Amino acid sequence: MRWNIEYKETWLHQTNPTAKLLLFLPMFVVIVFVHNPNVLINWTIGFTALFMLFSGYRMKHVLLFFVPFLFIFISTSSSMILFGKGETTWFRLGLIHITEESFYRGVHLGFRTLLFAIFGLMFALTTKPVLLFYSLMQQAKLKPKYAYSFLAAIRLLPIMLEEFQTVHQALKVRRAAKAKGFRGKLELMKRYAIPLLSQSIRRAQRIAVAMEAKGFTSERTRTFYYEVTLGKYDVYLFVVMCVIVAVGYYMAGALPYVAIKDVR
Amino acid sequence: MIHIEQLRLKFPGAEKRLFTDVSLSIKKGEKVLLLGPSGCGKSTLLQVMAGIIPRSIDVPMKAKKLHIPNRVGYVFQDPDAQFCMPYVDEEMAFVLENLGVPREEMNEKIAHMLQRVRLRLPHVHVPIQTLSGGMKQRLAIASVLALEPDVLCLDEPTALLDEEGTKTVWETLKEVAEDRTVVIVEHKIDHILDFVERIILFNEHGEIIADGSTNEIFSTYCSFIAEQGIWYPDVWETYEKPKTAQQPYVQADVLLHVQSLRGFRQKEEKIAVDELKIYAGEWIAITGENGAGKSTLLQSLMKLIRTEGDIYWQQQPLTNDELLYDNIAFVFQNPEFQFVTNRVDDELAYAFRLEKRSEHEVAEEVERLLERFHLNEHRHLHPYQLSMGQKRRLSVAASVTERHHILLLDEPTFGQDAKNTFALLEWLEAYRQQGKAIVMVTHDERIVSQFATRRWVIENGKLVADEPIAPRMLVRGGMG
Repeated sequence: MRWNIEYKETWLHQTNPTAKLLLFLPMFVVIVFVHNPNVLINWTIGFTALFMLFSGYRMKHVLLFFVPFLFIFISTSSSMILFGKGETTWFRLGLIHITEESFYRGVHLGFRTLLFAIFGLMFALTTKPVLLFYSLMQQAKLKPKYAYSFLAAIRLLPIMLEEFQTVHQALKVRRAAKAKGFRGKLELMKRYAIPLLSQSIRRAQRIAVAMEAKGFTSERTRTFYYEVTLGKYDVYLFVVMCVIVAVGYYMAGALPYVAIKDVR
Repeated sequence: MIHIEQLRLKFPGAEKRLFTDVSLSIKKGEKVLLLGPSGCGKSTLLQVMAGIIPRSIDVPMKAKKLHIPNRVGYVFQDPDAQFCMPYVDEEMAFVLENLGVPREEMNEKIAHMLQRVRLRLPHVHVPIQTLSGGMKQRLAIASVLALEPDVLCLDEPTALLDEEGTKTVWETLKEVAEDRTVVIVEHKIDHILDFVERIILFNEHGEIIADGSTNEIFSTYCSFIAEQGIWYPDVWETYEKPKTAQQPYVQADVLLHVQSLRGFRQKEEKIAVDELKIYAGEWIAITGENGAGKSTLLQSLMKLIRTEGDIYWQQQPLTNDELLYDNIAFVFQNPEFQFVTNRVDDELAYAFRLEKRSEHEVAEEVERLLERFHLNEHRHLHPYQLSMGQKRRLSVAASVTERHHILLLDEPTFGQDAKNTFALLEWLEAYRQQGKAIVMVTHDERIVSQFATRRWVIENGKLVADEPIAPRMLVRGGMG
């Protein structure tokens, strides 16, 4: 994704987007099936380190990105900790019931979300959308029709954001930016949504016509401005990920932080 | 080059056919202008010539003979709706990819095309978003040239540009199109009359009423052209403005007074003015280049963005922002953004209902406004179904009520034909005569010199001039 935040290009940026996607996606599945909190803690440490060291962003920005996810970590784990089921009671007060089992389950859940967040952020922050779609066309044989549609849509987002601000101002001066009650709020949503949607539908249609007018058809074989290939950095990423996964798994058995091996 | 015989075309859902047996042919190398009132089907015909209809836009049509060129370059009106890639080089490359140009040749071709349209950039990997409207249109021309078209179709390429952008775009087009066939649809024709050789004139029923050389058409059909609201070069000279225009207002009290006002976007200071006063009965024109901060100034006066500084309303310090909305009306550039209801009459009633007036009174006021703004026939329509000029009238009628004292307008005549523009200006002048103040951002020097009583010039976020304009008559100038 494109942010207006400066960053250095590191080897993570040089990896092939499709390869990165194929390496990251299975991790989401694997993480769901890991029930040993020790493994997840180790992986979190390992991948956080990878992210912090090689994302190419300034540390303060990286930490800022983490703030919302930390919040999710706390909210998901705390609800499980405070209201979960379990045998060994640590604390009880009215509805709140903290048990050993629920505590570890909560922490486990928290780390799971954190790992998801790390993979998501790592992908989003080190991948340019344009290259992602060029790579998907070249490596994954994605049809250009879909790739360019997505790219055109990405262009529309900042324009829509600007328009949202304008609509807000326009409604404000007509004293129509506030509404009371449920029906009023519904009406208000319509006031924002209709101009924004009608504008973007028309713009999207015009862009589509303009693209075809520039010779965009599915018939011809096309060449590519950016040639995206597989390279040594994809091997690096694969190796690094294997090492973190394997070492994390081994250390969880050899040097566990908590005695529990399965939170179920 | 182009040959169309007995074209019939009807948009699905439309009551009438747009074209019935239209025939025309255009020879190689000709420069042709399609001229006619809004809604006569010029753009549609251009799209048929370019093959966009029916290839990209599916409209039922039939023609006895239809010969159109294979390679057509089409430049559209909206600079924000012709690109699909975020960067200049990527957009140019998109066209080359479509043509199957080998990757190694692309960089050279891109540089060459950009040079032909004189788009000088620090480097080719520049975000399109950061370009001005005129630069975007020149980029569109460059990417169209990459197609090596036999025919160039230009669909009001400068309708949404300011004066400077319009000039550079036409200069570029004249250069690159010299030895090509060109078909143009355009309302603002001052810049192209020396370029087009032939004019095909349409009436509002989509029929060709004249076809001939530029001079011939202008000498024979001058009054017809004027009636249709087309911006022909002499339009201002023949226009008789209201007698009251630019006459000072008798009771000129200070309405709004601001001191050291600064307006911010994100954290950046975008506009700074030391002092401004708006008097009753003034018509202030805000001029300056694109991006200088004219719209931002309007937004700051209304406190729609974060501002610092002192604002006095009728000599009293401002205590509450709501007071501004009560006394100042704001008409946005895109009227659609300001509509809040589903019907024209409800739209007009909205402000009165907000004041909790009785329904009987509301109905009376709405009738009056419908009459005044010629919207009576369209009262049951959704505001979006109106034409461009009607939408603008509705947005003015609905935003402005009697309690307002100042009217701020952001380029209200933008993209309007001559007829609508004059109607709006006359309404504004009558409104000013009631002791209201008008503050408008405009690029049109004629409006400034014919209607405004004062001018603010904005440059780089600063007010650099605040000068009265003396009323004067326009010197009659000739045209070729």
